[in-house]
Amino acid sequence: MDVFSNIALGFHVALSLQNIGYCFIGVLLGTVVGVLPGIGPVTTVAMLLPISFTLTPESALIMLAGIYYGAQYGGSTTAILVNIPGEASSVVTTIDGHKMAGLGRAGPALGIAAIGSFFAGCTSTLLISFAAPPLAAVALKFGPSEYFSLMVCGLIAAIVLARGSVVKAIAMVVIGLLLGIAGTDINSGIRRFTFDFRGLADGIEFVALSMGIYGLADVAYNLQKTEEKAGLVHEIGRIWPSWADLKLSTPSILRGTALGSILGVLPGGGALLAAFAAYTLEKKVAKPPRHFGEGDIRGVAAPEAANNAGAQTSFIPMLTLGIPSNPTMALMIGALMIHGISPGPGVMNERPEMFWGIIASMWIGNLMLVILNLPLVGLWVKLLSVPYRLLFPAIIVFCCIGTYAVNRNPFDMYVMAFAAVFGYLCLKLDCEPAPLILGFVLGPMMEENLRRTLLLSRGDVSILVTEPISLGFLIISALLLLVVAAPFIRRKREEALRE
Amino acid sequence: MKIKAEKEFWSGLMFLAFAVVAIVMSRGYSLGRAGQMGPGYFPLALGVLLAFLGAITISQSFVKEGEKLDALRLGPLLTTALSVVLFGLLIEVAGLVISVALVIAILGIGLRSATWLELTALTVGLIVFAIAVFVFALQLPLPIWPTV
Repeated sequence: MDVFSNIALGFHVALSLQNIGYCFIGVLLGTVVGVLPGIGPVTTVAMLLPISFTLTPESALIMLAGIYYGAQYGGSTTAILVNIPGEASSVVTTIDGHKMAGLGRAGPALGIAAIGSFFAGCTSTLLISFAAPPLAAVALKFGPSEYFSLMVCGLIAAIVLARGSVVKAIAMVVIGLLLGIAGTDINSGIRRFTFDFRGLADGIEFVALSMGIYGLADVAYNLQKTEEKAGLVHEIGRIWPSWADLKLSTPSILRGTALGSILGVLPGGGALLAAFAAYTLEKKVAKPPRHFGEGDIRGVAAPEAANNAGAQTSFIPMLTLGIPSNPTMALMIGALMIHGISPGPGVMNERPEMFWGIIASMWIGNLMLVILNLPLVGLWVKLLSVPYRLLFPAIIVFCCIGTYAVNRNPFDMYVMAFAAVFGYLCLKLDCEPAPLILGFVLGPMMEENLRRTLLLSRGDVSILVTEPISLGFLIISALLLLVVAAPFIRRKREEALRE
Repeated sequence: MKIKAEKEFWSGLMFLAFAVVAIVMSRGYSLGRAGQMGPGYFPLALGVLLAFLGAITISQSFVKEGEKLDALRLGPLLTTALSVVLFGLLIEVAGLVISVALVIAILGIGLRSATWLELTALTVGLIVFAIAVFVFALQLPLPIWPTV
């Protein structure tokens, strides 16, 4: 089947009344949590995992995907109007966006953010539909050794691109892997790391772990800070940017889209890295006169295009290889597994209607977001007046009900409470939880692939470096580690990833 | 020796603690050999790797200047964790309505952040919303009232 008949199939699925509805719910919720600081797409996707349980897998993933890219739109609104980044990925947008608002140009800033995001969203979705099939075709030929090395490579890349110490990030991955294999071993039937708790026989519940770490630990961490007062909300004025603005921003949007699309595919990439990189690039290559930091419209256009493109293309490794590139994608994999679908290159052939349905829904979702965001922008800003003291009990209650709904097992609450304490310690110790979540999802798959690899080679570990593809992945991983270790690049990396 | 980076030091200690648990426990599972990995093989390897990473992190904390650990404020954390545990203890016996009300009451008392009126309104709103979404829309069989 060629790409176009696939896309047609996708639209057939995505345009059903039910899926349009879930797509709308997804982007709406995404916008809301994007606007609200203190609750992000990861928490929201985690809270909705139990709900997605009751839907068809297509509808579930369409909705969850909508939350992720919808949050990118919502985050920019508050960044521009009140100088509070609703999402980490819109931190850079505050720099020029809020300055523009101060100069009475909030409208065009919002307008260009939406236009840039929309263009980037549509383009990168097209990219997914062309890049995914060949990638999955290659991945289908992978044996266990290739898969094992690919996972090593993915985890290492995620670490290198994450913030903070590399050693600590690797340690967090290892802890994640260990937590991931807890429960009954599928090969021997032995219960590992269950401390004789029956509730742990099926392993640690992913929803409980991720909600504890992302939802509750964040709440506890935010509660010790004093409540941030929303600053002055600027007049929005005319939204449509002038022709001069559009002409000035077009190259920036194109560059942001290209850069964001590439960075999104990388493990550990996604929206956050894309936005930072695009802004840095813009500062170097944009046509003078440059007024970055003083309200240059290109400083809004490029990172907004990039974060949306990155959010979109980070679906590529998840959908084609079954390897998550960031925590949200790890949760999506969790959603697939709840539905009994094992994520990997086979998904595209076995469930074309789901695969292409998700992709087609991204176009529809992006269109909805433009419509939702531009005329209704005033409404979203009002959301900021919801005080955290009312928001946090709601988050906690939903984490509880949501986690309970997955298995109806009270034991998961204790797991979640434990994860909250652990997650809080990690936040305090500057240990990023993202690598842990990736490790948790990949743990059982890594063990199984390693087991099969060594079974085939009769215990000879060197097979990992004698098979050419596997060797290639390991060389890339080693290079990545070397690159971070080099002092010059380490400094650059710290600069680039600092907020 | 003086600890120069508190956060690194305590992180390293945390890694070591996990490593020790992993190593000790996986010794209780049969190891097998490389060609026939037993249930203890992978976790033991991970445990050893983690111990190594923990040791590096700790030794770095004596050499490299780093951040101080700021004070832990356990109040909000423990209140959050306790309310979740309480929900787990109550939900099957007392049902959704009472559990949610008690969780919010604990959060309200423990953190003294919102007024009683706000908390009551929030409780009612959340319960109605939760029942509408989870029980009616999604048809999940959650216990609403106490089982007698």
